[in-house]
Amino acid sequence: MSQPKRIGITGLDTEYGIRLAERLLGWDDPPALVGLDLNRPLRLAGRVDFYPVDLTSPTADVDLAERLAGEGVEVLIHLAFRSSPTPDIEEDHELETIGSLHVLNAVAAAQLSRLVVASSTMLYGARPDNPNFLSEGHPLRGHPDAHCVQNRIEVEHLLSDWSDRHLDTEVTVLRTGWTLGPSRGNYVSRFFEASVIPTVMGFDPLVQLMHEDDLIDVYEEAIRHSHPGVWNVVGREALPLSALIALAGKRRLPIPSSVLYRMSKISFLEQTGDRPAGFFDYLRYLWMADGERTWKEFGEPVYSTREAWSAFVSSRRLQNVR
Amino acid sequence: MGDDARDDNVIQMPLKEEGQADLEREDLDALREALEDLRHEIRLRVPDPRTSEPKALDGQSEIDFVALVDGLRSRLATLGMREWTVEVDDFGLDRDLVQRAEPLLDWMQSVYWRIDVVGSEHLPEDSPALFVANRAGILPWDGLMLSHVIRGVAPRFGRPRHMLADWLMTLPFVQSFVTRMGGVRACRENADRLLRTGRSVIAFPEGAKGATKTFRERYRLKRFGRGGVVRAAIENGVPIVPVGLVGPEEAHPVMFKSHRAARAVGLPFLPITPTFPLLGPLGAVPLPTKWVMVFGEPMTPPLPADAAAEALVISRATASLRERIQALVEVGLDRRASVWD
Repeated sequence: MSQPKRIGITGLDTEYGIRLAERLLGWDDPPALVGLDLNRPLRLAGRVDFYPVDLTSPTADVDLAERLAGEGVEVLIHLAFRSSPTPDIEEDHELETIGSLHVLNAVAAAQLSRLVVASSTMLYGARPDNPNFLSEGHPLRGHPDAHCVQNRIEVEHLLSDWSDRHLDTEVTVLRTGWTLGPSRGNYVSRFFEASVIPTVMGFDPLVQLMHEDDLIDVYEEAIRHSHPGVWNVVGREALPLSALIALAGKRRLPIPSSVLYRMSKISFLEQTGDRPAGFFDYLRYLWMADGERTWKEFGEPVYSTREAWSAFVSSRRLQNVR
Repeated sequence: MGDDARDDNVIQMPLKEEGQADLEREDLDALREALEDLRHEIRLRVPDPRTSEPKALDGQSEIDFVALVDGLRSRLATLGMREWTVEVDDFGLDRDLVQRAEPLLDWMQSVYWRIDVVGSEHLPEDSPALFVANRAGILPWDGLMLSHVIRGVAPRFGRPRHMLADWLMTLPFVQSFVTRMGGVRACRENADRLLRTGRSVIAFPEGAKGATKTFRERYRLKRFGRGGVVRAAIENGVPIVPVGLVGPEEAHPVMFKSHRAARAVGLPFLPITPTFPLLGPLGAVPLPTKWVMVFGEPMTPPLPADAAAEALVISRATASLRERIQALVEVGLDRRASVWD
């Protein structure tokens, strides 16, 4: 199949949405982009066909279906997810789960040939009984205290049910690990920006990181060619958390798990911290994903974990100097 | 007067300088000699840390202050530097840490537990192999030592990765230490990946049931999982090397298990040994029992002819593997006069 001519992006006004759009517009034969989001990204003004859509509104699916069919979109990439969790559980559920449901309904109505959905390897959950490398077939166990993760798991379940009923649409699910890089980032990068990083006392798991350029590469490839299925999108190699922190010249603040979890629960509910209580489990147990299949199919990542980390750290250093 | 003085200076300068240079050279030579003496003296007193044996528990009577100060100084100078060079493999093995622990492991092998190795001629020629042993003891000393011994007698296997019980992964400090020393959580995915990438594996198919055997039944092998070991060997095409371990059980003799106390502290079980919890953290120090490691003939499990017969073939192979290891344990027991020698 030749590369698509008309591409839809939900969640255009997100960090990766904008960067992906810029990448797609840089093709030799630039496709027409249909952007769907709440707000119009100013950086892309005049270069994409933008339609404001509120995925949380009850008729979002109808609006979306009209747009997609009217514009003749061939491939839709669904990126409209929160980059950082919100303590507002209901609102979170509305956007992540119900919003995705609307997207699925609209895709079915507009009869698109392909759908690409961004997901996360955090959905596997950080558990002591995880194997060192999680394959795509591993059950999504998530974390009971992190509703942002639980909502995304629900999205994946909805999606797999939906794709069983809509065999004409090829579905690609890209589960990405923690992605860092010079851009603005999310709650994970904000956590690692601090010069003193709280960790769970006595635990030092291997951490897998990916550079955002590699993520955009994978998004682009998923749109350009057909790759149906579920894929773990992660960086090569892994480093212990302590080694990462030392490499950056930062300091570790080990806190006993009972104290740390209680502290993070309070700060999240009081909205002074943007990490859900379950976050520290991801700095405690293993949740590395096996990316071998993806690297074969989508191409090798450019950055290893160590390189992604140093790119992130050096970009933040410059910000501090300014 | 000013002019005269300047002239004098101009004429005298070279003379004066020559004298000064000689003096300086003499001083320097004397200083160099003194330094050389000092260096010699230090070298006599401070053994080279790279070649010297570790003196962990030698019972040195007098403290070597020169060495102490030197050690402190070098530690201060490299404070926080070690992590900068940290290199771990994809399963978290820290080569640096293992290398530094090697003398200690050697010492534990030859002095502390006096490990007798029997049947090392049975070890297969080709590198990746699946070692299967009886689970012995609560803390993973058995896996650590077995992997060290195998590396000693048959370097072609490298340092086989030993499999760890799930619950060790939930313990703070223990988790990060055992993974750095080469331990891997016991599950099929990990074993497959290690064998596929050419690394040998040590498995303890008795699992947690084996670790908590009470002292009375310490040499009776429990059920061998669900045949995962045999399956892993078949699917990865590697031979199984049965190993009988005698000794590690008595290093932490479990007198009885307390489930009620375990629930209170959130552990799967709480072993009561003569030293734990009576002596607190000291109870984690293993007793210096006499160990025997018996390697048996490698076995290659038969390939099941068809899917219907598979389950039975595997369970038969698992049962025979268990019998072999039980026999190896008996061999090891016969070699020992008592628990201590």
